[in-house]
Amino acid sequence: MSYELLIFAPLALSLLVYIPTRNLGGTKYVALALFVYMFSKTIELYKQLPEHGYMLLGKFLEVKAFDFVLTLQVDRLSVIMLLLTCVLLILVTLSSWSLTKKPAAYFSLLIFFSGAIFGVFMSTNFIWFFIFWELTLIPMLFLVGIWGAEGRIYAAIKFFLYTHVASMLILLAFFLIYKQSGTFDMTLVKEAMLTTPALIWWLMFIGFAVKMPLFPFHTWLPDAHVQAPSPVSALLAGVLLKMGAYAMMRMVILLLPIQAEKFAWIFVVLGLLTLLYAGFMALYETHVKKMVAYSSISHMGLIAIAMGAMSYASLSAALFEMIGHALIISPLFLIAGFLHQKMNTWEMTDMGGVMQKAPYLSAIFVLAGLGALGLPGTMGFIGEITILISTIESFGSWMVVILLGSLISASYLIWTFRRVIYGEMSEGVKNANFSMNRVEFFSLLVFAFLIILFGIYPQTLFDEINQAFGVYFTGGTL
Amino acid sequence: MSAFTILFAFGLLSFAMRSSLLLKLLSLLVLVAAGYLTLNSYALPLNGFSLTSGVALFEVVLFIVLGAAILNEDENINVTQTIFIGTASVALLESNTLLNFIISFEALSVISFVLVANVKNATQASGAVKMFIAGSIATAFIVLGAAFYLFENHPLNSGLQNVETFGTLGLWLMLMGLFYKLTIVPMHSWAADSYAEIKASHAALLSGAAKTVAALAVFKTFSPFLLQNLEFNAPILVALAIVTMTLGNFLALFQKKVAKILAYSSIAHAGYMLLAFVAVKSAYASTSLLYIAIAYVFMQSALFTLIGNLKENASELSLEDLKGLGEKDKITALIFTVQLFSLAGVPLLAGFISKAVLVYAVVDADLPIVALVTLLNSALSVAYYAWIVKHVYFDEASLDYELKSLRFAPLMAQFILLGGTIYFGIFAFGVFKVAF
Repeated sequence: MSYELLIFAPLALSLLVYIPTRNLGGTKYVALALFVYMFSKTIELYKQLPEHGYMLLGKFLEVKAFDFVLTLQVDRLSVIMLLLTCVLLILVTLSSWSLTKKPAAYFSLLIFFSGAIFGVFMSTNFIWFFIFWELTLIPMLFLVGIWGAEGRIYAAIKFFLYTHVASMLILLAFFLIYKQSGTFDMTLVKEAMLTTPALIWWLMFIGFAVKMPLFPFHTWLPDAHVQAPSPVSALLAGVLLKMGAYAMMRMVILLLPIQAEKFAWIFVVLGLLTLLYAGFMALYETHVKKMVAYSSISHMGLIAIAMGAMSYASLSAALFEMIGHALIISPLFLIAGFLHQKMNTWEMTDMGGVMQKAPYLSAIFVLAGLGALGLPGTMGFIGEITILISTIESFGSWMVVILLGSLISASYLIWTFRRVIYGEMSEGVKNANFSMNRVEFFSLLVFAFLIILFGIYPQTLFDEINQAFGVYFTGGTL
Repeated sequence: MSAFTILFAFGLLSFAMRSSLLLKLLSLLVLVAAGYLTLNSYALPLNGFSLTSGVALFEVVLFIVLGAAILNEDENINVTQTIFIGTASVALLESNTLLNFIISFEALSVISFVLVANVKNATQASGAVKMFIAGSIATAFIVLGAAFYLFENHPLNSGLQNVETFGTLGLWLMLMGLFYKLTIVPMHSWAADSYAEIKASHAALLSGAAKTVAALAVFKTFSPFLLQNLEFNAPILVALAIVTMTLGNFLALFQKKVAKILAYSSIAHAGYMLLAFVAVKSAYASTSLLYIAIAYVFMQSALFTLIGNLKENASELSLEDLKGLGEKDKITALIFTVQLFSLAGVPLLAGFISKAVLVYAVVDADLPIVALVTLLNSALSVAYYAWIVKHVYFDEASLDYELKSLRFAPLMAQFILLGGTIYFGIFAFGVFKVAF
C-alpha cells in the first residue's frame, strides 16, 4: 500500500461515512477498524526504519516551481508520535462507544482527524506540514462545537481563531525560510538556516507555543478542554498539544539549533511560568475538569523546560514526559467527564465518596492522579525525575525549583482525591448510577496498564526515544 | 474561429431561441467548444489580441463557471447574458493594447449593467442603479486618464509605453477608474450594497467572474507601468491593499445578512488581489493573481448562487435563517461550508493555496510586514466565516426554518464549482506551469 493513503484514505472515508442521511451507529466499528489498521501499518513502518535518519516513503503532487511537494518521510521521532496517536485514537474511540448524539458525524470527524494528524507527522515539506497542521483544526472545531457542553460554541470558535492566528505566524516563518533556502524540505534546510534571522525563530516559537500551549499563550485551552466532550479533551491533550511540542522539538530546536541555544532561556522562563501558574490555577479550581485542564497545561510547562536544556538527555526526557502526559491526562479527563455525566455537576464540592460506589473507576482515577503528581512506579515519576536530572545537568542545581511544581501538583491532586474520591458520600454520589459501558471501562484499564507498564519498565520506551535523538547529537551537542 | 467568435455568434442566435432546455444544452455545448478552442490556442483573430497559456487556463475555468451558472439559471435572457459576459471576458483577457483593453472593459461593463437591469423588485433595482452610477464614474476616470495618456503622445493601439508626468497621471486616473470596478477602498462603497441587493445569481457572475476577469486584465495591461515607477507606485498600492482588505474584513464581521457578508468579503478579496500588483517585481506575482482569480471565481460564484437557491429573496437571507441547515440538508450545508472554508483559506481547498502563493509573492518582493498584515487579515476573516458555520451546524434549527432544498440542476452546478475548489486545492501544478 502506498503510504499517502494513510493520510488521504481517512480524509475521503470520513466524507463517505458522513454523507448518508441516516445516522449509522456502525460508524464506530469503521473508525475502530481503521485506527487498528493504521496502528498495524505504523508498526510495519517502525520495523522498516533505518538505524538513523529519515526513511523516504514517497513524493507526491509535485509542483517543482514552488517546491510544493508532498514529501512523506519518517524517522524514529515521527513514528513514535504516530504510534502514540494511534493508541490514543483507538482508546478515544472505545471511550466514545456509547455515544448516542449523531454518532456517524462524530466518528467521521475522528476519522478525518486521523488522516490530518498522520499528515502532520509524516510530511517533511513545510507547506504540506502546514496544510495538515491546519486541517486538524477542522474536526476539532466541530467536535467541540457540536458535542461540547453549555459554553461549547464560544470555546470552539475561540480555539479555532486563536490557533489559526498562531498558524499564520508559522506560515510566514516557512515562507521566510523558503526565501532564504530555496526549499520547503525540512530535511534539507538545516545547513542553509545556520544564519537564520531571529525573526524566523520567534515566529515559529510563538506559533508552536500557542499550540503546546505555554503561558501566556494558553488561554484558549482551559475553555476548549472544559467544554469539549471528554474523549475529545483526551484527544486534545494527548495528540493536539503533543503536535505543538513535536513541532517545537523538530523545527524550533533541531532545525534551528544555534538560534534555539541563544534563546534557550525563553523555554525555561515560560516553562517555569507555565508550570507554576497552571499549577496554582489547578490548586484554586473547584471545577473538576478545569482542574485536570490546568494540570495538563502545567505538565506542558515541564516539557518546555526540558526542551530548553537542549541536551540529549533532556530532549529524551521531554519526549518520555510527552507520552506519559498523554497517557496520564487522558483517563483523568475521561473519568471527570463520566462523573459529570452521572452527577450533572462539575463542582468537586458536590462530589465526594465516589470510591464507595465506584471503586474500580476511582482506583483508575487515583492511579492516573498519582501518575500526574509523579509517584514512583508510574510513568509520571520517570518523566519528572529524568527532566529534573537532565535540567540540573544543563542549568545547575537551581533547577530543583521544578520540584515546586511537583509539590503544587501533589497538593491539588491529593486535595482532589479528598474531595471527589474519598470523604463522605455526597447526595449527588448517592443518587448517581455509576454503571459504565464495558468497552469504555476497558479503554480506561488500558490507560492504567500503560501508565504502570512504562513506569516499571521505562527502558523499553527510552531505548526508542534515545535512538530518535541520537542522530541529532554529535559529541553531545546539537 | 476562436472562443470569442462562437460565443458571440451563439449569443446573438440565442435571442431567437424559445425552448429553455434547448438553449441551456446548446449553451453548454458552445462553452465546451469554446474551451476546446482556447486550449488549442485559438486567440481572438484581430490585431491587438493574443492568448497566453495563463489566460487560456483562466478562460477554461471561466467557461466551467459560466456553465455552472447556466445550469443554475431559470430565465432565457440570463443565459444569453451569461454567454455575452463570457464573450466580453474573452476579449478583455486577450487584449494586449490599451485601446482594446478599454473597449473590452467597457463592453463587459455594459453587459453587466444590462444583466442587473433585469430586476424583480425595488431592492434589486436599487442595487442595479448604484452599480450603474459607480460604473459611470469609473468610465469617466478611465476616459479622462486615457486623454492624459494621449496628451503625452502615446498611442492607444499598442501596449503601455514608458510615461512621464502626464502619462503617469493619466494611467493613475485610469487605475482609479478600474479600481472602482475592482471595489478597492475608497472606491468600494457601491459594491457592498449592489452585490447584496441585486439578484444572487447576477452577483455571482459580477463579483465572481467579471471582477476576476477585470483584475487579471488590469494586471496584464498595467504591470509594465507599475514596474516602471515601482518606488512611487508600490507604497500607494500597499496602502490601498491593506486598507481594502482590513476594512472589508472588519465590516463583514458586523453584518447579519449573508449576502452583505459575502459582499464585504468580496471587497476584502479585492484587497488580496491588489497584493499581486504590490508584489509585481516578484516572479510569483502573476501566478499568485492567476491562482487567486481561479480560486475566487469558483468560491464566490458558488456561494452567491447557493444563497440564491436557498431563499428566493437572497438579500434577506440572515444568519438566523441558516440555523439548522446542517441538520436539515446535509449536502447543501457541506457544500456551503467547504466553499466558506476555502474563502477563509483552509487547506486542501483552492482558497488556501492561492492565498499562500500570494503571500509568498509579497515575501518574495521583500515586504514581510505586508505579508504578516495579510495573514492576520486572513485570520480575521476566519471569524465571520466560522460564525456562519456556527449558525449552520452548532445551532438548533428554528421553528420557522424555511430554506429551500436545491433542485437537481442547481445541485449539479454546485458540484461543478465544488469540484473546481477542491481540484485546485490539491493539484496546483496546472497553475504553476502556465505563463500569464
